[in-house]
Amino acid sequence: MTPPNMPDATSDWYLSDNEPGHLDGHTIEELNDYLDRGRVPANLSIDTSPACQIALASLERLSSAMSSLLQDEADRADVRDDSWVTAIMDGIVRDARSGRDIPLEHPSPHARLFVTEGAVRGLVRAAGDTVANLIVGRCRLDGDLATPGAPITIAINASIYRGESIPALAEQLRQTVAAALSAHTELTIAAIDVTIQNIYLTRHDPEIGQDTP
Amino acid sequence: MFPANRGAAVPDSQIRALLEHADDRTLVERTVDGDIRAFEVLVRRHGPLMRAYATRILGSNDEADDVVQETFITAWAKLPTLENPALAKGWLMRIVSHKSIDRIRARRHHSSLDNLDVPAPDHHSPITAVEALSRSEALSQVLSELPTNQRRCWELKEFGDYSYAEIAEELDLPVSTIRGLLARARKTLIREMEAWR
Repeated sequence: MTPPNMPDATSDWYLSDNEPGHLDGHTIEELNDYLDRGRVPANLSIDTSPACQIALASLERLSSAMSSLLQDEADRADVRDDSWVTAIMDGIVRDARSGRDIPLEHPSPHARLFVTEGAVRGLVRAAGDTVANLIVGRCRLDGDLATPGAPITIAINASIYRGESIPALAEQLRQTVAAALSAHTELTIAAIDVTIQNIYLTRHDPEIGQDTP
Repeated sequence: MFPANRGAAVPDSQIRALLEHADDRTLVERTVDGDIRAFEVLVRRHGPLMRAYATRILGSNDEADDVVQETFITAWAKLPTLENPALAKGWLMRIVSHKSIDRIRARRHHSSLDNLDVPAPDHHSPITAVEALSRSEALSQVLSELPTNQRRCWELKEFGDYSYAEIAEELDLPVSTIRGLLARARKTLIREMEAWR
């Protein structure tokens, strides 16, 4: 044990109660805050102290160990049957997403027909899912949905795999969705806007391409 | 000129495989639009990590399962309010934190939350006995042996990405106390980790 009056920068700060004596006048909290700030602004006294550099390396090792710890525990957990997923899926309120009602024209003045926004989005998604090399995300309906026959713009987000032609796939998605909407609804579609929001780098590891603009 | 269509009727299994490759942002967007299959993929993707986290905080698998279930049911309802769908994982972990801490509050009379610095169990040389364990397992064991409040602060900061002020609020303790608890936890963890290396 190093006496406080004989600071020894090479001994271990974490075995002592006198951190500044081991860390060239700094505390481990200071160093930790320095790391959390991304070592900005640079602190010359810390940056030029070998003891501080060693301590910073320890802090970084701990941080990296922590970031893998929980995932390791999740991976090691017993393989369970699927009942936990079933319990969740049974617990959600499914009709919470139907959205606005869109009136449809009907020859009889006494009949009122509606299609829900959610149903139209489902139709668009199902059509989009038939297009290879592309995954549909959000689908939005813009326009005066309350007035039958009013023009509606469909805005679709989608991701594609690298190597595919963006304009070609976007066009294919547009045509497929337009065909599905015309076959199943009487909506007046003014436009179908497609935004490609992400490009997956590989087919089997899309996480790599997860950085979105 | 176009790549082949997947065909008019895409089998459910094929859609599931497609969604498993999708990023969180796409899955959240589809979930918000009402696609329950996308939501199920989110559940399977993040559920195990959330359960590991809740198990850490609560110390019980059964309660962790309940918390994860409640979290996803809340998430289904609240996902439309998530501003950045790409940050779904952190958002889910945050809900797990809240719900876990709520449970700890509810059983407060059994817990040591009010009892700062319960001494750590006095078997602090387990590292030599667990040399065969992975670094994660060894560290996990050290973490489990920290005094309850130190451990809880540490877990909220490291796994829940809480700030000092947020931990203070969540645990009803002054920020200065949180700083002290984290400092002690950090020192113990580093000492054990360095001894194990």
